[in-house]
Amino acid sequence: MARTKLYTAIYVVLFAFASAQVAVEFAGLPYWTGFALIMVLSLVKALLVVAYYQHLRWEPRSITYVMGIALVAALALTVAASYSIL
Amino acid sequence: MSDDASTAGSGSGRPAETDGGHAEPDGGAQAETVGGPPELPGGVARDEGVLNRLFGTSDELPPASSIRRWLVTTNHKDVGILYTGTALFFLVLGGILALLMRIQLLAPRAPGQGILSGFAYNQAVSAHGLLMVFWFLSPFAFGFANYIVPLQIGAKDLAFPRLNALSFWLYLASGILFVISFFQGGTFAGGWTMYAPLNVPTFTPEVGGSTAVLALLLFVASVTVSSVNFLTTMHRMRAEGMKLRNLPIFTWTILLTVWMMLFAFAALLAALMILSADRLLGTTYFAAESAGGSLLWAHLFWFFGHPEVYIVFFPALGVMAETFQTFTGRRLVGRKWFIAAMVLVALQSFVVWMHHMFLTSINLEIKTLFMATTIGISLPFDLMVFSLIYTTIKGRIRFETPFLFSFGALLLFILGGITGVFLGAVVLDYEFRGTYWVVAHFHYVMVGGVTALIGGLYYWFPKMTGRMYDEFLGKVNFALYFVGFNLVYFPMFLAWETPRRVFNYPAELQLYHQVATVGAFVLGASFLVMFYNLYTSLWEGEKVGDNPWEYAKSAEWAVSSPPPLENFPGRPSYASGALEFLGVGDDDEPDERREDEGVAAADGGVATGPPATAEASAVDAYGHEVGHGDHDDHHESHASPWPFALGLGSLLVFLGLSGMKEGTFVGGAEGAILLGSLLAGTVVSGVSLVGMGRERFVGPEVEAGEQWPFANVENMKLGMWIFLASDVVLFGAFIGSYVFIRVAAGWTGWQPIPQDVGPGLMNTYILLTSSFTVVLALVASEKRSRWGLIASLSATFVLGIGFLINKGIEWNHLFHEGIWLSTNIRSSTFFLTTGLHGAHVIAGLFVTAYLIWRAWNGAYLDDNRPVEYFGLYWHFVDIVWLFLFPLFYIV
Repeated sequence: MARTKLYTAIYVVLFAFASAQVAVEFAGLPYWTGFALIMVLSLVKALLVVAYYQHLRWEPRSITYVMGIALVAALALTVAASYSIL
Repeated sequence: MSDDASTAGSGSGRPAETDGGHAEPDGGAQAETVGGPPELPGGVARDEGVLNRLFGTSDELPPASSIRRWLVTTNHKDVGILYTGTALFFLVLGGILALLMRIQLLAPRAPGQGILSGFAYNQAVSAHGLLMVFWFLSPFAFGFANYIVPLQIGAKDLAFPRLNALSFWLYLASGILFVISFFQGGTFAGGWTMYAPLNVPTFTPEVGGSTAVLALLLFVASVTVSSVNFLTTMHRMRAEGMKLRNLPIFTWTILLTVWMMLFAFAALLAALMILSADRLLGTTYFAAESAGGSLLWAHLFWFFGHPEVYIVFFPALGVMAETFQTFTGRRLVGRKWFIAAMVLVALQSFVVWMHHMFLTSINLEIKTLFMATTIGISLPFDLMVFSLIYTTIKGRIRFETPFLFSFGALLLFILGGITGVFLGAVVLDYEFRGTYWVVAHFHYVMVGGVTALIGGLYYWFPKMTGRMYDEFLGKVNFALYFVGFNLVYFPMFLAWETPRRVFNYPAELQLYHQVATVGAFVLGASFLVMFYNLYTSLWEGEKVGDNPWEYAKSAEWAVSSPPPLENFPGRPSYASGALEFLGVGDDDEPDERREDEGVAAADGGVATGPPATAEASAVDAYGHEVGHGDHDDHHESHASPWPFALGLGSLLVFLGLSGMKEGTFVGGAEGAILLGSLLAGTVVSGVSLVGMGRERFVGPEVEAGEQWPFANVENMKLGMWIFLASDVVLFGAFIGSYVFIRVAAGWTGWQPIPQDVGPGLMNTYILLTSSFTVVLALVASEKRSRWGLIASLSATFVLGIGFLINKGIEWNHLFHEGIWLSTNIRSSTFFLTTGLHGAHVIAGLFVTAYLIWRAWNGAYLDDNRPVEYFGLYWHFVDIVWLFLFPLFYIV
């Protein structure tokens, strides 16, 4: 199966990014720069897992939309609620 | 719930598959695929256990006169009747509580005077609201949804019949649990909205309070199972030519309702899980001294609560649209726009929730924004109301009972809607908040909805029973109902200065309250007429044919009353533009146009569209054939004892949990009994889950039909994805709660609980690796490598255990430092959020163990879908950790 190589490469990237997140923490960057970097790394990792391990890339786009709506709903709750007390 | 989803009924067309998709290599299902006609009806399944022997084998459906039938049935029509009956029981219960309150309110009294004590009144107010909103309104609508929707879309049953039965039994179990809560020192007494901090044990210490919260939690579990099932069914099991735009309006309203339920109830699930943790384990999310605690509850609750308004109202709207069409003989005016307006409302409903919080300390900018969105959501409703009114003008009205109720509902809803706009304005809300204006408004909306649903009950009664109700008594029912309704609720607008939820009020308002009490009894009496009418008609009513209503056009009226077990004489199709039943009899000619009842079409009029065979026999991303089934060899199962058993097990588990406080069981005999209940329930549930997984149950096949937009996603896979979507909202709400509390407490001043990032990083590596091994398992099973499959699954299992051990060591370390769930809000969020994730890992490990066992016996080499679907879940759990790790360990 040709995809095994791809899956392995993704695994290596995921492993490296997880290590990188901790490295960022100890790199002495300004807090919010480090924060943004760490969250972006998490996001990229999550997208890789969704797209390839859960093979959403090869599924009908409608499923991506359903998951996207769920994510938007959760973010709307988080962001609007947090903003309401700022 | 993940296990439930993964052992759910299969909708794939392969005839001889267990519904978990676990094909048996040794005899069993596989043999049947190649062999001749399956011996299913009466064939003895391999899961002969005590329960199966007691209840009969899984495929025999006992006759309707037998009680056993109702315990094992998985047929959507039976389940619909069970829902309807149970919901009416809770209507009576909630109604009696309302009458008790109205008697108390005959005069403004001091605490202790009158028939209810202060505490009893608070319980009655809270329980009335909870029972009516959760245990009556939605389930009543879902009785119709269960019965009617498959008929209207042209499906033989729901996609996962056993999950449907499970939804019902979980619903009943949750209702029984709620009733029990009254006898555990009193039920929850903090109002139906369960506002913090009144909802924590400091203020509502009764065990029954915890039971009520747990009952609601169990109810939400039932709703989640139901949502996944209905969405899969309605998107994937429609008859040929039944495009979404052709769906009858009632089915449209249910479709939108279920989509809203999927996301809204996930937020409520998070709220209730956190509240349960606060009550049972001693976390401090909603404690008065926690930063943002009471606001957090309001956000979580109303993020659910406002869509909930439309969740309970949409089905009523659907009934109104159906009956308006039938009893005016006119297609709904502006049908397309009516549907568009509903879609818009469904979306908008998720961005208006803070209008319930205008009197809290949220900032003025967001209040203004939410005032605008709230006024905005009233606009699509205007369109719907005008569409209904214009339909009556264009048509010729026949004032029969169902229409009377629907028309009455429209009038009531107009009044309820307009008075709601007042509350949407920040300035007016400052005045009206917490008064009877609110009470009157939402009763006009919600009980207005009930009015339409009662119309629905009369409308579909002949279909469900085969007999006609008494028209005269129906009209008497309506007259009493409408007069009683307005007598009880309208004076509340006039007495609006009465404080809500309180039994004392200014003496000058007494006359209004006395009128309201009289009205309440008139309204109650109208239900006695209804029950009498329906009960006598059940036995003595005039027998009806397929369609007792002139102009009723949706497909349920094209089959007998009540419809046969598998609904249709042949495969329903709208490909020619009207409903036909294909393949009736031995000749395969499209015949049976059933002209005698008039050709039933979708109420959208002309249904068009090419035959869907091209997409139906398509192949999905993983090379599985999806869609078409072997029509002749398919024999669906209609009975299973396991949903009932799992419902019973859940009841015992949740009852047992109610005995916990601060992480330990209450003392004495009560604690011992509840602990016993927990243990017994765990055993019963475990056995039921395994029994359900092993049972050979053949779900309805997916026939060539309309499946937009999920044509190439097999039923089980779609069900899993939809479940994961709700899980995204669940975890999103948990993470959102953490973010909210941290913002409230000051983001950068917040120290992560684990002092060492090491264990978290290690667990990240472990979970990432386990995701990789799950991928390898799928690859191995595609290559038909039995040992590769077993090795990868075993590696996953070992890694999962390693994750838990690592976490256990870390937690133990924290405990030794004196950091516990109840130490502070930082530790509460840390333990609960990562604990929920850990629980997902544990659930996944049970499934992994099951898969390993089956793989050992040679499964999954020909059909690797269970491995694939389990992978979807496992990767999702991995993804959640990818965010928990930085949020709780690093930043």
